[in-house]
Amino acid sequence: MSSARYLGLIALAASLCLLPAAGYCQEGEEAPGGAPRMDHSVTVRPQPKGETPRTPDGHVDFTGVWNGMADNLLGVPNQMHNEGIAVENNHSTYDVLTGAKVATWPLARPKRQNNEQSERAATLFRRMGASRPIYKPEYWDMVKELDANANEEDPSNNCMPAGVPRMGSPSYIGQFPNYFIFIYPGQGGLIATQTAYRMIPIDGRKHTPLQDLDGTYNGEGIAHWEGDTLVVDSWGFVTATWFDQLGGYFHSENMHVIERFQRNGNTLTWTATIDDPDVLLEPWTTTPRIQLLNPNPKAMLPESLPCSERDLAHAVTKEHH
Amino acid sequence: MPRNQKIVAALFVMAFAALVLPIVKAQTAAPDAAKVIKAAADAMGMPRTGGPGGALLPEVDVINRMEFWGSGTVPAGNGAAAKGDYHVALGYNPPAMRVEVARTNPDAHTIETVRDTYAWNESQIGAGLEPGRGTATPVANAVKARLLQLWILPYGVVKAAYAAGDQTKLSTENGANVLTFPLSGELAGITLKATLDAKNFVTKVETQTDNPALSNLMRTAEYSDYADHGDILTDIKSPGHITIKRGGNTVLDVQIKKWDANNPYLVFPVPQNVRNAAGQESSKVAEK
Repeated sequence: MSSARYLGLIALAASLCLLPAAGYCQEGEEAPGGAPRMDHSVTVRPQPKGETPRTPDGHVDFTGVWNGMADNLLGVPNQMHNEGIAVENNHSTYDVLTGAKVATWPLARPKRQNNEQSERAATLFRRMGASRPIYKPEYWDMVKELDANANEEDPSNNCMPAGVPRMGSPSYIGQFPNYFIFIYPGQGGLIATQTAYRMIPIDGRKHTPLQDLDGTYNGEGIAHWEGDTLVVDSWGFVTATWFDQLGGYFHSENMHVIERFQRNGNTLTWTATIDDPDVLLEPWTTTPRIQLLNPNPKAMLPESLPCSERDLAHAVTKEHH
Repeated sequence: MPRNQKIVAALFVMAFAALVLPIVKAQTAAPDAAKVIKAAADAMGMPRTGGPGGALLPEVDVINRMEFWGSGTVPAGNGAAAKGDYHVALGYNPPAMRVEVARTNPDAHTIETVRDTYAWNESQIGAGLEPGRGTATPVANAVKARLLQLWILPYGVVKAAYAAGDQTKLSTENGANVLTFPLSGELAGITLKATLDAKNFVTKVETQTDNPALSNLMRTAEYSDYADHGDILTDIKSPGHITIKRGGNTVLDVQIKKWDANNPYLVFPVPQNVRNAAGQESSKVAEK
C-alpha cells in the first residue's frame, strides 16, 4: 500500500473523529443564500454595541429596522428569551424573573426528532418561565382551559389580528417630530403574526375617554417621553385578543397597556405592562424583549407572506403551539 | 517495510485507536452520579431540545408546573388516612404546591398550600386573595412538610440531585442504582435516597436525617406505572401509582387519573394576611 493511500486512510479516520462537530452549525454562521441562520445555541442576547443616536431635538432616535437577530416569532430560542428563560451556554440556564438555575446538559450531537417530538418540546419550552400574569382566582381554570384548547380558542387563529400587546415589538420604527410609525411584518399563515402597522402620535394630546371609544385590536395608542424612554400608552381595545403570544391570556375591554421602549446602542428593549382590574389581581409586566438593529444600512423589510391558515380545522388532538 | 510506510502505519493505528477507544470507554465505564441523574431525567422526558430554530440548544429541564388528579387512600390528618380524591397543582420555580383532598365517610375537603417560606390552608382555591373569597389560614409550621412533598416527587428528585452537584453520591443496592443527596434551603438537614429501576425511573424515595427536630419528616414514597398521562401529550412520563408511608403507616396510596405536564397555567400568590402573619412570626423570632 502506498504512503498516499495510508495518508488517505488517516484523513478518513480523522474526519470520522470530527463528524459530531460537523453536525453543528455555529451561531451567526450564514446559511446558503446569505441569510443569517435561525438556529441559536443560546437565548441570551449580546451586549449593546455602538453609540445611541439622537434626533436634532435631543431625543433618542429609534428609527431603524429592528430584526438584526434574523429570528421570527415562532423561533423557539426567541420565544424562550421572551419567556425569560436564558440559556447562557451548554451548562447554564436560568430564569430571568427569579434567577433560579435550570438543569442543563450539553447536546452531545444534534438529536434526531420527528416533527411531533420537536413540537411537543417547543410547547414545553414556551411555557416554562416563572413570569405569569396573576388572574383573579375565579379565572384560573378559564385561562388554563383556553390555553389547553388553543386550537379552537386562540382568537388569532384563522388570520385574525394579534393586537396590542400580543404583537410584541415592531420590526421597523419610523420616528418623526409628532408621531411614530411602527410596522409588524406578518410571517404568513402563522398564529398571531399578521402584518400590522400603528401610527402613534407624540404631540401632547390626551386619551379619548374610554367610554367614547369603539374598541379596536390595537387600541388608542399615544406616546410620550419619560427621560430617554419612549412610552406608548394604549386603551380602548376589543376583547377578541390575548395579551401575550401564548397562554390563553384573555382580557376585558378595560385593559390598559403601557409599552416602554429603550434604545442602548444597537439594542432595543421592549416591555409591556398590562393592567386590567376586571380580570387581573395586579398589573403584569412582560419579560424585557431585546432586539438588535439590523446592521445593514440598506436593510429593508421583506414582503409579508399571505396568511392562509388551513391546518387547524384538521387538528384531532390538543397538541398545539 | 520501508521506514516511511512504518511511520504511516503507526499513525494509522493511532488514529484508529483515537476513534475507537472513546467508544469502548463510553460503553464500559462505570456510571457516575451525573450520568445516572441524566438517565433518570431522560427516562421521564425532562431534558429537551429542538423546536423551530432550537436544534442547537443544549438539553434543558423543561418541567416547571404540573397538575395531577388521583383517587384512593388519602391523608386524613395526624398521620391517618381515608378514602378520597387527591388533586395536586405544583410548580418548581418558584417552589409551590397546592394539595386538595376530598375525603368520604366522613366527608371532608381540605386545601393545603405552600410557596417558598409560606404555608396556608384555603377554604376554597384562591381563598384570601379577594374580598369575599373564603379564608386563608396561615400554618407557618407546615412549610417544611409541604415543601418536602414537592421534592420527593420523581421530578423533584432529579432537580435536587442535579442541584446538589458533587454532594450527590451514587451506590448500588440489589443491582439498582441509588442516588443519595442533601436537600437545601428550608429542607436543609434532610437527605434523600432515591432508588432507580432498570429503565432509570425513580421508584422509591426515602428521607433521612440526623437532626431529631426533623424526624417528623421521615417519609418513604414509591412510584410505578410510568406513562404519559396528560390530555396534551408531552412525552413527559409520570407515575400512575403513588404510595407514601410515614412511620410505616400508609398516608397516601392513589391511582393517577390524569397528569398534565405541559406547564399549565398554575399560580400560587401568597395572600396578604399570610405574609403579614409570617412577618409577625419573623419579628417574634428576631425579638428572641
